[in-house]
Amino acid sequence: MSERTRSDRERTHQLFVELAGLPRGTARHSEVRAELVETHMPLVRYLARRFTGRGEPTDDLLQIGTIGLLQAIDRFEVERGLEFSTFATPNIVGEIKRHFRDRGWMVRVPRRLQELQGELATAINDLSQRLGRSPTMRELAEHMGLTEEQVIEATDSARAYSAVPIDVPNATTGMTVADSLVESDSALDHVELRHALRPALAGLGERERKALMLRFVENKTQSEIAKALGVSQVHVSRLLAKTLLELRGKLPDMQVPS
Amino acid sequence: MTQAAETGAPEETVFLTVPANPAYVSVLRTVTASLAARRDFTIEEIDDLRIAVDEASALLLPHAGSGESLSASFGGATNTLTIEVSVPLTAGDDTKPDEDGFAWMVLSALADTVTTDATGDRLVLTLTKARSARST
Repeated sequence: MSERTRSDRERTHQLFVELAGLPRGTARHSEVRAELVETHMPLVRYLARRFTGRGEPTDDLLQIGTIGLLQAIDRFEVERGLEFSTFATPNIVGEIKRHFRDRGWMVRVPRRLQELQGELATAINDLSQRLGRSPTMRELAEHMGLTEEQVIEATDSARAYSAVPIDVPNATTGMTVADSLVESDSALDHVELRHALRPALAGLGERERKALMLRFVENKTQSEIAKALGVSQVHVSRLLAKTLLELRGKLPDMQVPS
Repeated sequence: MTQAAETGAPEETVFLTVPANPAYVSVLRTVTASLAARRDFTIEEIDDLRIAVDEASALLLPHAGSGESLSASFGGATNTLTIEVSVPLTAGDDTKPDEDGFAWMVLSALADTVTTDATGDRLVLTLTKARSARST
C-alpha cells in the first residue's frame, strides 16, 4: 500500500474522533465524512486497480469501492485503536468482489433465458392490454407455452436486471425519458425521511430517481410508471430492483453497522 | 401444477431457513414468487413481493451474527400471502428497524401491512399482501 505519512494518519484519527461526537445529519458531520472520503480515495483507487481488466469500467469500480469506503467510515470505531486503512481495506475489496459476483452471476444467465426476457416483455404487454390488468403467472405461462416455473425464473427482476441495459433511450418517441418526466420531487417533502435519503437519491440517475419516487412515494403501480416513462413494465421492474440494490449500499438504515 | 394453484389448501405453511448471508436471499425470493404464483397473484404483485422480501432481508441481515440463520415462513389464505422473516437477536442489540426510514417506506408501499417485533429472542418482520380482486 502507499506510504501514508504520519501526519495523514494523525489527521484521519482526529477526524474520526470528531466524527464520533457529531450527530448524523449535521453539516459538520457531512463535512468530516467528506474529508475522510477524499483523503482515502487513493486507497480506493489502489484497490480498484487490482480489479481492472476484468471487463468492468474503472469508473464503476471506483464508485463501488467508494461505497465500501463509506460503509467503512460509518462502521469504524476509533476507540478500538485500529488503523483505519486496515479496517477499510476488506470493506472496499468486499464491495468490489460482491459486485463481480453479482455480475458474474448475470453473465451466466443462459442465452435462452435472455431471449425469453424479450418474449416475456412482449407477452406481458399483450396480456395486460387484453386483460386490462397485470397478468398472472399462469396466464403468462399459457400464453407463452411455458411452464409456470420457467416464467417465474424469467421474471426474477433482480436476476435479470443487468441482462438488459437500463438506459436505453425510448425508441418510439425519440425523446429521452427525462424530457417526458414531470417533476415529482415535491412529494418528498411530505414524507419524513432520513437526511441520508436526499444525497443518496441525488447520486442516482434521473430515470432511477423518478421511478423510485413514483413507486414508493406516490405509490404508483409498475404499469403506471411504465406508461409515464414510455418503457415496458418489465423494464420498470428491473429499474426498481437495480436502484434499490444500489441504494441499499448507501443508506444507513439499510446497512446497519454491526 | 395449474390444478394445485386452484385447489391450493389455504392453511399450508412453508418454512424455510437459510444461512444469514445475502447470497441466500435469492432463495427466499424464488420461493416467494412461486408461492404467490400458486395463489394466482399477478406478476406485478409478485414482483412487489419479491422486492419486499429482498428489502426485509436487507433490513434484518445486519442484525444476525455470523453462522446464524435467516428464517422465513410463508402462509395465509388462498388470496393472501403472509411472509414472516426473522433473524435471532444478538444479545445487546436493541436497534429496531427505523419506521421512518426509506427501507420501511419501500416495504409499506409494496406490502399491505408491515409489522416488526423484537420482543422475543428474534427480530421478526411480517409482510402481508392480498391478491387484487378480479373477476377472472
